[in-house]
Amino acid sequence: MFADFIPLFVIIAIALGLALTLLAAASWIGPKRPNKIKRTPYESGMDPIGSARERYSVKFYLVAMIFIVFDVEVVFMYPWAVSFHDFIDAGLVATVGVMTVVGLFVGILTLGLVYDIKKGGLEFD
Amino acid sequence: MEVALDWYLALSAVMFTIGVFGVLLKRNAIVILMCVELMLNSANVALVGFSQSLADPTGQILVFFSIAVAAAEAAIGLAIVIAIFRKKRTVNINDIHLFKH
Amino acid sequence: MALASVTFFALALIAIASAVGVLIARSPIYSALSLVLNLLSVAGLYLTMNASFIGVIQILVYAGAIMVLVLFVIMLLNLDALPSPRSIGWGPILGFVLGIGLLAQLLYVMLTSFGISLEAAEPVTTAMAVENGSANTLGQILFTEYALHLQVAAILLLAATVGAVMLAQRRFA
Repeated sequence: MFADFIPLFVIIAIALGLALTLLAAASWIGPKRPNKIKRTPYESGMDPIGSARERYSVKFYLVAMIFIVFDVEVVFMYPWAVSFHDFIDAGLVATVGVMTVVGLFVGILTLGLVYDIKKGGLEFD
Repeated sequence: MEVALDWYLALSAVMFTIGVFGVLLKRNAIVILMCVELMLNSANVALVGFSQSLADPTGQILVFFSIAVAAAEAAIGLAIVIAIFRKKRTVNINDIHLFKH
Repeated sequence: MALASVTFFALALIAIASAVGVLIARSPIYSALSLVLNLLSVAGLYLTMNASFIGVIQILVYAGAIMVLVLFVIMLLNLDALPSPRSIGWGPILGFVLGIGLLAQLLYVMLTSFGISLEAAEPVTTAMAVENGSANTLGQILFTEYALHLQVAAILLLAATVGAVMLAQRRFA
């Protein structure tokens, strides 16, 4: 029921309100006397070298993509976990059936992970 | 549902149109992919609305598969953008015209 | 109940505003963050429809995984905002007209069918809607009736993995 989720919305509103209030208060109350040295990026006292926005390695993309695939897999497995007791109550055939379905699903997705590892997609050097 | 289905469908239509505007007007390939996600998302809103007002869970099963397809689409689409960027050093779709010459 | 209506209209306003934000943001990073806000408010809209499980996986997959991938790629390519075009050609004008046409069409269909009553087998109560959107109900159907479709989805994700690894790993001269 929707009313059950009201506390969730309230806590999101409180978190947002608190964060915005604190940020606004900090920029309003805090003294601002910037000079050239203060505005440089802080790198442990060193003079900054190069740009802060360097290009990332494509390896990170491959890790994020594997994460997406297994995230979707977990999303499909969650209703399985919730309804598993009902499948057990429905008898042995239903239980074996649902185990086969999920086993096949996980097996097919694991093939992708094996391919990625074989290709060296997850090796950082 | 406490709010009439019409409002969800109207919201879905407006979000879909905004996505279409993005695909037609933006020139950054990544932003175009994001607008495609927006359109998929608006279709999901309509599906869940119908599913909940008919008390038929099949519509939500379709949303499951739609989300899986969106994940696959994002992975492949962004991989294509990366591949094109390596060759052409741009993601501006006006500069990507491999078949024109 | 008025509370759900107020929540719906607030969330719908945020959703539309952030969708427009995706369009008008100059930098792709701002577009992506605006889209995250849009996806979160749509997740809230699913909750107002009592579709709790879909709302949760919306946050988990869309806002949590897909947008992380998009932000990764934006940082990977280190993109700046594209320079604004010197002259507006026919393309954007045509796109604008087509978009307006589509919106008019959708709104026409909406207005002519406003207040339409769907042929539900019996009147849908809140308890039915809550039951309908629960993970248990969805699991009961997903792993029996749609077991084959599940395997097809797995093969699609496998193909996406293999394809993305191929495309991203390829060395260009």
